[in-house]
Amino acid sequence: QTTGLVGLAVAENPHERLRILYTKILGVLQNIPKDAAYRKYTEQIVNERFDLVKKETDVQKLQDKLNSGQIEEVILQAESELSLARKMIQWKPWEPLVEEPPSNQWRWPI
Amino acid sequence: TVRPKNEAEHKQLCAFGEYVAEILPKYIQQVQVTCLAELELLIHPDGIIPVLTFLRDHTNAQFKSLADLTAVDVPSRQYRFEIVYNLLSLRFNSRIRVKTYTDELTPVDSAVPVHQAANWYEREVWDMYGVFFANHPDLRRILTDYGFEGHPFRKDFPLSGYVEV
Repeated sequence: QTTGLVGLAVAENPHERLRILYTKILGVLQNIPKDAAYRKYTEQIVNERFDLVKKETDVQKLQDKLNSGQIEEVILQAESELSLARKMIQWKPWEPLVEEPPSNQWRWPI
Repeated sequence: TVRPKNEAEHKQLCAFGEYVAEILPKYIQQVQVTCLAELELLIHPDGIIPVLTFLRDHTNAQFKSLADLTAVDVPSRQYRFEIVYNLLSLRFNSRIRVKTYTDELTPVDSAVPVHQAANWYEREVWDMYGVFFANHPDLRRILTDYGFEGHPFRKDFPLSGYVEV
């Protein structure tokens, strides 16, 4: 029983772990305004994966259906998505543009 | 001979560029896709860390690898230096370029908290161009000689330098 990747231990009970992570992400997303694009798309992704996790109990078949590498990698990705959601609440990237660039800034050739 | 244009790839890159621009309208000023099928995001300098963390952590954009960090000097502009980050996604096998701007005196947020690989690249940009990175753990010269004065890659620095060897 091994993941085949250096430094990633095999996860026992990955369904439970993914369930906890996805519920946490959805909880954090509630603090973002409803019309923000980040909230819409992340909720869509998380709900899709959550439904797949709930329906499929076999680990191998779940890995194939998610098509995103090993289950341990999926868990890692969910953890980083959770930390990203928490940081997004502070940065608020859905607001309009901070500052327009000077008109010649992005002109190429000059 | 000219490289044949891959319409599907081009369309995919455009779609992804619009996706990212919709999620981060606060920092992204422009999105462009070059004729060689390379996606570029043009950013306001305040948004370096948010955009890089988003590109690293989001599920649809797992750009875990920082391939390159450079700067471009265009002296005729108000913000003469253009900082360029090249990211690679191993999961989706795709690359993206993030560009910011700054002038000689404004510090820029360091990308080291997001990508450890940025450490020496930022030291090189500081040494060669003089762009200061705030919150960098160890910003000092890396390629020039110990007592060297000046920033060699700037356009106003002469080719054979100021000191005779």
